[in-house]
Amino acid sequence: MLTDLETQLLGVMIAVIMLGMGASLTFKDFLIAFRKPQGILIGLLCQYGIMPFLAYLIVIVLGLEPALAIGLILMGSMPGGTTSNIFAYFSKGFLALSIMMTIVSTLVAVVTVPILLEFYSGLRGLSGQYEVPAGDVAQLLAVLIVPTIVGIGLRKWNPNVGATIELVGGLVGVVVIAFLIVTWVPRNYDLLASTPAGVYAAAIGLGLVGMLLGYWLARALRQDKRRARTISLETGIQNSPLGALIVVLTFSDELQQQVLLVPVLYALFIVLSSTAVTLWFRGITTREQMARDQAKVATAPVGPSGGPVHR
Amino acid sequence: MIAAAPTARYEHLAELVRDGTSRFADRIAFTTCLPNGMHGSLSYGQLERLSDAFAAYLRDVLRVEPGTRVAVQTPNCLAYPVVACGVFKAGCVLVNINPLYTPAEMEHRFRDSGTEVLVIVDMFADKLEEILSQTAIRQVVVSEVTEFFSAVPRAVIRSVMRVWDRVLPRMRVSHLRLKSALELGAEALTGDGKSVAAYIDGQGPATLAVLQYTGGTTGVGKGAMLTHGNLIANFEQSYAMVQSHIDEGKECVLTALPLYHSFAFQINLLCFFAVGARSVLVPNPRPVQNLQRAFDNYPITWVTGVNTLFNALLNEEWFTAFPPKHLKAAVAGGAALQRVVAERWESVTGSAIAEGYGLTEASPVVSFNPLSGLRKPNSIGVPLPRTELRLVDDTGRDVTAGEPGELLVRGPQVMQGYWNMPDETAAALSDGWLRTGDIATVDEDGYYRIVDRKTDLIIVSGFNVYPTEVEDVIARMDEVQEVAVVGVRDAKTGEAVRAFIVRNGHLTAEAVREHCRQYLADYKVPKSVEFRREMPRNQIGKILRRHLRPAELN
Repeated sequence: MLTDLETQLLGVMIAVIMLGMGASLTFKDFLIAFRKPQGILIGLLCQYGIMPFLAYLIVIVLGLEPALAIGLILMGSMPGGTTSNIFAYFSKGFLALSIMMTIVSTLVAVVTVPILLEFYSGLRGLSGQYEVPAGDVAQLLAVLIVPTIVGIGLRKWNPNVGATIELVGGLVGVVVIAFLIVTWVPRNYDLLASTPAGVYAAAIGLGLVGMLLGYWLARALRQDKRRARTISLETGIQNSPLGALIVVLTFSDELQQQVLLVPVLYALFIVLSSTAVTLWFRGITTREQMARDQAKVATAPVGPSGGPVHR
Repeated sequence: MIAAAPTARYEHLAELVRDGTSRFADRIAFTTCLPNGMHGSLSYGQLERLSDAFAAYLRDVLRVEPGTRVAVQTPNCLAYPVVACGVFKAGCVLVNINPLYTPAEMEHRFRDSGTEVLVIVDMFADKLEEILSQTAIRQVVVSEVTEFFSAVPRAVIRSVMRVWDRVLPRMRVSHLRLKSALELGAEALTGDGKSVAAYIDGQGPATLAVLQYTGGTTGVGKGAMLTHGNLIANFEQSYAMVQSHIDEGKECVLTALPLYHSFAFQINLLCFFAVGARSVLVPNPRPVQNLQRAFDNYPITWVTGVNTLFNALLNEEWFTAFPPKHLKAAVAGGAALQRVVAERWESVTGSAIAEGYGLTEASPVVSFNPLSGLRKPNSIGVPLPRTELRLVDDTGRDVTAGEPGELLVRGPQVMQGYWNMPDETAAALSDGWLRTGDIATVDEDGYYRIVDRKTDLIIVSGFNVYPTEVEDVIARMDEVQEVAVVGVRDAKTGEAVRAFIVRNGHLTAEAVREHCRQYLADYKVPKSVEFRREMPRNQIGKILRRHLRPAELN
């Protein structure tokens, strides 16, 4: 895990990145996201329908012991994380949609997460008293929303300033992701060496299978491919700091350490798998952009066909 | 406001420039907008000062003679108008060069035109190394896409280009930066109180202004000689067709087509400049996503484009969901505007789109669908004022009404001939009539329609087949993304029809032929069908049929 100083530094960097993300957007981008508001609802469905159920399924299939099971179900029930926005940006996804999905899923987390946790852990006979601290959720939202809005405002005020901040934010994003990827094996060597294969499978599988299912559901509900890819990343990437916080608030001593194992592993691997998926998605989006340039215009029934166009 | 019939207000493009910069001095003339929204602008007043400086650099620093060929080879950016206006003021001849040319193509253009000064964008300047010594170029001036940007955006963009995109090659040829050239020019001007206006003494409408190369990327390029009179006449003729939709000093035009191409050169650089418009320059419109921030950040009132550009915009959600609010009109040229694209454009934007026709040799506009009048789909409209059109058969006689014939043009915009090519000139021009090589028809309202290129006509057992007709039929199939039809040699029928198709689904040659049989006479149905991954295209996206024909037929 990270030290306090590192956590604070990371917090500042996340704020800088979100400022950059915001500076890449205009209000019109959000209007475009709202043109198909069902995207946000589908995101919710993926986040709180698919993910907890998937976690529960993995628990059953792998027969995880109670502490690990709670950790996994907890991660499955988390809202989308800020990192999902960064990956949406780098994958040339629908950033405005991603941010809206994160905001909405984080907002409703106060109500949905305790219910889901009690339901699924109850199924395994592991019921406990879960609470999502509203103050922390408010803080999460503030870190997400304030820099975004400031960034949008800066772009509106002066596109040169906006584009510069966007590039700085993107650069910091790349540095943070690269730092996490490069350092996590040496930092966590003992943990990684002592963790059984089943836990690996659970921690990695939750994110990757979640992305796959999120994409399928979004496509099945008639979202276009770019929106579906955005929803996919949003679904797979959970807010692991929030998960860890809830564990710390709910459990203590040795049990706390055991329950924390899955969230920690998940947090490590999701950076790796999201980076790979993002690079893949980015390539697809670029190819689609080039193809759209060439594609025929769909025949639209406008005006009386035949006679001259006259205005 | 109804203006009088166009008369030659200006004698020289330097006058047109001077008139614009003095009437609209405080307005923004040009803005470069990059895909991420970074931008830089020049006002009309700044443009006047900078183009004066460039003219002085040419005449008083380099001491070139009037009539010296000065080539400009940049994508759309602020350097372009400064250099072009400076060349006019210096009384020199502007040679437009496509930045994407290969070194061999560049060498041909430079040698053929006798270019002595070259302004080239740094991104492509490495192509000069191997050819510079073969040319008469004595001074290379290097410009950049971020020319005249403020310091921070320029530094950011240039480091991204250098480090991430790796598109800034090392400069090995001796050169001068445009900024330094302008400083030298400005010093020369302040030094001895010289007047820039004196550079064009003795010049007038008959003076050569621009060498505009045509003939595409294969074969020998021909330099069309356009005079100040040609270009000014065509400006006034074109303006007459659009003035109902122009408020002087209030327009904002999107310039996504390259200014080095005759269409954007005339319409975006000259016409909109003369009416005090702000022109938003986009260096690279592909993918068309690159235009989003230009539409977001500027109140675009006019768009000039080609079919592929309009088509691509209509495929973007950000464009169709929130079409530009201030848009008044769009003009299409360069290639046929498809009817479905035109109709969709008008329904999405709620504003008119008018198709015109032109060719480099005619400065370039010949005909237009009037914006405030009857516009016919699939038609190139009516001739511009003071422009005569004829349709003739192979023997040069006028065809009977309604029959197709080769289109001939006569008017003040027609070029003087091809540079150093008397035979080619004689073949193209006689009695002031320019042979276009396009086959057209005219209807009872006087609206012309291009049937095909004369050289693309396929003769199957003595019957004429127009490739466009066959292409239109094939394009109706959903699985067909793009199609081009050419003639190939055939032992039995002389020539035979062959279709090249880019498909976007499952499609067999037999299905294409079956589909064609429903709509076309037997001899028009493609005898062979070939599937391709992509089509050969020219600089503005027009499919090049001659690249598809077997070499022996070209």
